[in-house]
Amino acid sequence: MDFSLSDEQILLRDSAREFLATEWPVPELRRMLDPGQADSAASGLWLKMAELGWLAILVGEDDGGLDLGMFDLVVLMDETGRRLIPGGLHASGVLAATAIGRVGTAQARQRFLPDIAEGLKKATVGVYEAGSGWSPMLLEPHSAGSGQTKRYVPDAATADVILFLSRTGGNAVELAVAHEPEITDLQSMDVTRPLFEVSCKPGMLETIGTGTVADLQAIVDHATIALSAEMAGASSQVLDLTVEYVKSRKQFGRPVGSFQAVQHRAADMLIAIEKGRSAAYYAAAVADEQPERLGEAASMAKAAANSMAVRVAEAGIQLHGGLGFTWEQDLHLYLKRAKASEFTYGDTKWHLDRIAHRLGLS
Amino acid sequence: MYNDTCQMARLHDSPGEAAFRSRARAWLEEHAASIGKHDIDGLKAWQRKLYEAGWLGLTWPAEYGGRGLGFREQAIYNEEAARAKAPPSINNIGLMIAGPALIAVGSDSQKQRYLKPMLTAEEIWCQGFSEPNAGSDLAALQTRAVSDGDDYVLTGQKIWTSNSLIADYIWLLARTDPDAPRHKGITAMIVDMKAPGVTVKPLTQLTGEAEFGEVFLDEVRVPKSNRVGAENDGWIVGMKTFTRERANISINLSVRLQQQFDRLLEGVRDRDVPLDAQQAREVAQAYVDSQCLNQTCERLAARLFGFESSVVKVAWAEMNQQLQEVGLSTLGPDAPLLPGTGFPREADASPIREHAGETFDKSWQFGYLRARANTIEGGTSEILRSVIAERVLGLPRG
Repeated sequence: MDFSLSDEQILLRDSAREFLATEWPVPELRRMLDPGQADSAASGLWLKMAELGWLAILVGEDDGGLDLGMFDLVVLMDETGRRLIPGGLHASGVLAATAIGRVGTAQARQRFLPDIAEGLKKATVGVYEAGSGWSPMLLEPHSAGSGQTKRYVPDAATADVILFLSRTGGNAVELAVAHEPEITDLQSMDVTRPLFEVSCKPGMLETIGTGTVADLQAIVDHATIALSAEMAGASSQVLDLTVEYVKSRKQFGRPVGSFQAVQHRAADMLIAIEKGRSAAYYAAAVADEQPERLGEAASMAKAAANSMAVRVAEAGIQLHGGLGFTWEQDLHLYLKRAKASEFTYGDTKWHLDRIAHRLGLS
Repeated sequence: MYNDTCQMARLHDSPGEAAFRSRARAWLEEHAASIGKHDIDGLKAWQRKLYEAGWLGLTWPAEYGGRGLGFREQAIYNEEAARAKAPPSINNIGLMIAGPALIAVGSDSQKQRYLKPMLTAEEIWCQGFSEPNAGSDLAALQTRAVSDGDDYVLTGQKIWTSNSLIADYIWLLARTDPDAPRHKGITAMIVDMKAPGVTVKPLTQLTGEAEFGEVFLDEVRVPKSNRVGAENDGWIVGMKTFTRERANISINLSVRLQQQFDRLLEGVRDRDVPLDAQQAREVAQAYVDSQCLNQTCERLAARLFGFESSVVKVAWAEMNQQLQEVGLSTLGPDAPLLPGTGFPREADASPIREHAGETFDKSWQFGYLRARANTIEGGTSEILRSVIAERVLGLPRG
């Protein structure tokens, strides 16, 4: 496995880091916490991300995109995760773009993808339903024309297009536009990526593509890998903040970072992050080059990210002492993103069960 | 779905790498069955065979018997060796530590003299760094090397010396200037284990075997031509060796980790009772962790000869302990038993043995017990966590 970055990828990484430092500084991020301000804070960033082509990475050239691969995407998500950028990039640029690109009709691709790639339309996708868990075969089959309710739909309130990816029976899956949906905020602990329940009345779903359960899972697997890379970036930022803090905070006349108990916890954070990042980049390479192994690689990446992100965020809070528990310090935002991400696209148990199955253990 | 033409191939071998891999696989498949007993003579013969076929010293310069290839070829060979269930190298200290250190800092005549017999296993090497009062605090070492004409006269004691019972040479650190600051008066040198004044005592480990020994040095005369690097420069030489040791150990042992995991899967498949969901998850978690570790070794490869090697060493040591525990808890009450020991015990089945032997070496009993050393040898995990904190993360010295 070759993990080295191409010149273009190095440029993408460095320019993203620089861009986010100036265009999405912490005060902008924190503006999302103010009542009623979340959407306007995020929308300024949105247009600039679109200009940089970030929303076009996974869109094919024929559909007005850049036609890059998952490895390019994870290089970017690693950086955007550091700055906890709002969910739209993920919902529209990754989840919706992949769903339409994979199962959308030629007409649907022309209708939506150029606008998604340019940021003119924000899209999101509802996949899971109350009680469905994360196994697509447990999604209730829907007959044509019936109403539907999807849960955990990211960024639905600000989306221009809400898509439903549903099982219609057996292995068959359809992608549909939900017209006039009813949207309820589910009060996710992560306000930077709100989650919604979206209901669509009978007759209001417009089918724009069909595929199989395997397509549905592959779409989610791509989004899972992107999320895992984002979790690695966020964890690295927590570690950086923590290292800076324990270097400067003095107790007993010396920096607390010189105490072994503190040092060793920081070292454990780094070890977990290195493993988590490797798994995400590896999975991205698998998605690009060995799609037949996509599921296993995505599940390994998410299982590794899950055992990294929350642990690192919690350790960061602990090593900041009382300050870490305050609203003013940014660490709680990282903890909340990490905890919410842990339950997005499958928790640890689900991914381990999936890997166990592939190993022939169950 | 994606246009791959502008993408780099990251998972696939290049045509040259693919050809190298298929040659390695074919050779190992043909010869792995002919590996003799896992005793000293059998393992020496196997190593010689590997050397003659061109599979050793892959990254070493060709002029000293190596192949002058890159890290990638080494990684491919390691993967294929794991796949073929090839035994560990008998001269691992030489191949992984002393050899690379000599290549980095040795004189040309030292390289000419020592490297090839190291590769062929004609000469087995050990490393003498630790002492009874210098473990984690290596700079406290007290073995004295007193200059006397063309020789140093060496007196002191080394401990935890792997392979010392079978070694022909020891590569060690000794204090040449007792008045200098403690990091500054140390010199690295090569010592003939058959030289007068060298005595080795086996150190029986909790596994019952004596892989380690104590090396006593009583006025041993060492020619100054055996000095490695400049006089009093041994600390720097030693540190270079250490990061290399950790990197090489991690890369090579991740191969053994893979073998051990495969053994776990075989064991699970041989069971009459299927695993329950929780056991299956534990095995899957061990799989995830060991795969992530392998990937991390590859991702950090270029940095592994720096302090980042500590990240991989700590992760590997704890991974192996985790895997051994998962193996025992998953495979049930027979797993900690030694296969093939019946009643009455055979005459040679003393719980203390000179060398593990194949059956014992591959058992979960041995694996679990031996793994306790992983977080101690080559730098304790506590010391390494401090190294990570101070040298990689830049935290202030404790």
